[in-house]
Amino acid sequence: MISLIGFSALCLSTIFSCIVLIPKSILQIKIKYFLFFIRSSSFLICASFISLILAYVTSDFSNFNVFQNSHSEKPLIYKITGAWGNHEGSILLWVCMISIYGFFYSLFSKSSESFKVLVLKIQSGIFIIFSFFIIFTSNPFLVNSVVVEEGLGLNPILQDPALAIHPPMLYLGYVGFSLVFSLAIASLLKTNSDETWIVETQKWSIISWGFLTAGIALGSYWAYYELGWGGWWFWDPVENISLMPWIAGLALVHSLLMVRGEEAIERWIVFLSILCFSLSILGTFLVRSGILTSVHSFAADASRGLFILLIFFVTTGFGFLVFLIKSPTKKNNLHLLLINKTSALIINNILMMIAVLTILIGTIYPIIIEVLTNTRISVGGPYFNSTVLPILLPGFLLMSVAPVLSWQTNKIKKFKIYVICFLILSITITIQSYLSAFNPWGFLGLLLGSWIIIGSLISIILRYKFSLTSKYIKSINSFTAHIGVGIMIIGVTYSSVYQKEYNFNMKIGDEVTIENELLKFDEIKIVDQENYQSLRTFFSLKNDNGIISYIDPGKNYYPVSKMITTEAGIYHAWFKDIYITVGSENNNQWFIKVYINPLVSFIWIGVFIMIFASIVAVIKK
Amino acid sequence: MSLRFQRLILILLTLAMLAAAILLILFNTKQNIVFFYTPSELLENNIALDKKLRIGGYVKKSSFVEKSLNNYEFKITDNSNDLVIFYEGMLPDLFREEQGIVVEGLIDKNNNIVASKVYAKHDENYMPASIKKELEKNNQWNKNYK
Repeated sequence: MISLIGFSALCLSTIFSCIVLIPKSILQIKIKYFLFFIRSSSFLICASFISLILAYVTSDFSNFNVFQNSHSEKPLIYKITGAWGNHEGSILLWVCMISIYGFFYSLFSKSSESFKVLVLKIQSGIFIIFSFFIIFTSNPFLVNSVVVEEGLGLNPILQDPALAIHPPMLYLGYVGFSLVFSLAIASLLKTNSDETWIVETQKWSIISWGFLTAGIALGSYWAYYELGWGGWWFWDPVENISLMPWIAGLALVHSLLMVRGEEAIERWIVFLSILCFSLSILGTFLVRSGILTSVHSFAADASRGLFILLIFFVTTGFGFLVFLIKSPTKKNNLHLLLINKTSALIINNILMMIAVLTILIGTIYPIIIEVLTNTRISVGGPYFNSTVLPILLPGFLLMSVAPVLSWQTNKIKKFKIYVICFLILSITITIQSYLSAFNPWGFLGLLLGSWIIIGSLISIILRYKFSLTSKYIKSINSFTAHIGVGIMIIGVTYSSVYQKEYNFNMKIGDEVTIENELLKFDEIKIVDQENYQSLRTFFSLKNDNGIISYIDPGKNYYPVSKMITTEAGIYHAWFKDIYITVGSENNNQWFIKVYINPLVSFIWIGVFIMIFASIVAVIKK
Repeated sequence: MSLRFQRLILILLTLAMLAAAILLILFNTKQNIVFFYTPSELLENNIALDKKLRIGGYVKKSSFVEKSLNNYEFKITDNSNDLVIFYEGMLPDLFREEQGIVVEGLIDKNNNIVASKVYAKHDENYMPASIKKELEKNNQWNKNYK
């Protein structure tokens, strides 16, 4: 019953969106009714999604999708999140978000009426395409052909709080670019010279980018503690394709700073807006079609893949076609100087585009090779580490000073202070790395990261008088964001370059020394939880002053899906994580793997600062 | 410096970066790729012994042996040919017999694989086989629904 309501709401919502698209020459819709249709469509699609969640919560196994992905003994939160833990449900969430973005745009936009209508029409167009995709290939409201008492259960590895909110965050990011896309196309098609779209694109692109950052970080954090591999980034295709729109979005956010009435920059912004959304759809296509031999591969269904590829070509083709046909209306030259802000931003954009291209090539290279030569290859971490990182290095160097460059002249205020500080910093770090284990990447990462932080701090101190007002926080916002990046770079460098791995075979009561700490294997407990059985090994971590912490890595056994998941035990300190996973057991000897991950916490702190900065930037407007 | 000269430098800088990036990509696509085979393809081709490769397939039923703690031997199959895999280390959570996996490692003289990494797919519901087939394989069909 509830599935029927959900499906009807989905169809009705699509029909409402179609009505909106009727050209003026056939049916003149007043703006009042136009907005009514747009908003009702949003309400209906939300109702549709809520009814899917309700079907999950009530464990309605007459719904085929619920049957496949849920189980009545699952905790309530994972019943709810199970709704988007599968292909069909997640696409419904995706479509729902397209509509919600349109809804909020219709509420908050301050543009002229005609422009608003244009944007909402394009947004509805995207909505219709994706809702057709659901109705024809991925319907989550299909009826189960056999009567069953129990479902198959959600993959245990997905039953995790971080992963429960990871897809909605990520999708809010991906889908947010659909609105940015609509704004860009509307700006090309518009007939008046209304320039409010730039301000709006600024706002919505930062919102999308902020959500995307949060989504990627959550996924990465999940991979860190759930996969038990000791790392947090594996250059898996699924990760790469989320990184591409992220970098393109970053380029977009930065380009939007440059707009000072220059036609070339406006064209570039439109191009980036189209690119961001295209990369989002391309990502969906690559993941959902199963065309990539990824460890994370989703449904390998040819018809779905083909449909998404079609959507990709239609939207991207339409976007770039409009982009090419519509000629610029005014001509203003760029104010380029050797080292002014505009040229710094341009170099930054070029670097980011090259980075996107490199990731794209690395990700689709296996497909190209397979088509051409029929051999299958995989491109792993080493390729990306040795191409993307060197490309980004000059960009990192640039970003430490870019915010203080002037728009009009070549001069930097108080240039000498920067040079002196940089020299002092490089000497300190050279000595530091000479005294400790020298590693070129470690050296570079530390130098760049700390220089970005220090450079930004100098600029803040020199340029703004400290006060605890919101105005102050807003004016130093770009520096804040860059400090976040600096902290993250240090964290990334240290956790990957100086990671240490130890393997032990231990039985209860054994003690091992790791660096300066003593790790003792205390006991094993097996406890029945709500829908799984947990095995926990308890360790105590001691130093000279006594016990620092208890760490309890273990395994969970899920009887419904007959699966075991590894649960890493992590001791978080400010400067290092002690990360323990338990392997198998033989004659009471347990295989224990211990990673010492230095400065991992810096990565998450850096991400927090970046997200904070994007929130401040949105409130600013 | 004239404005024109400054712009020229900027453009040259861009071109230099682009060229460097292309060189990096070309160099790394030669160096850092790993070939991917099914067991049958591997046996047909002659593969160099010291080359890292990946093999995809299913863990053969009742081939899995734990020789000692964290030291395993099993067979990977594509239903027509099998390969023996030696692996020392932790197996992924989703590793089971008849589960699709990817093994990375080196091939030895006897066409056995000394694996350095074993990957299992994230989600068993998303295997290529149809749902019913999958259910029957896991022996869940009869128990729960009939």
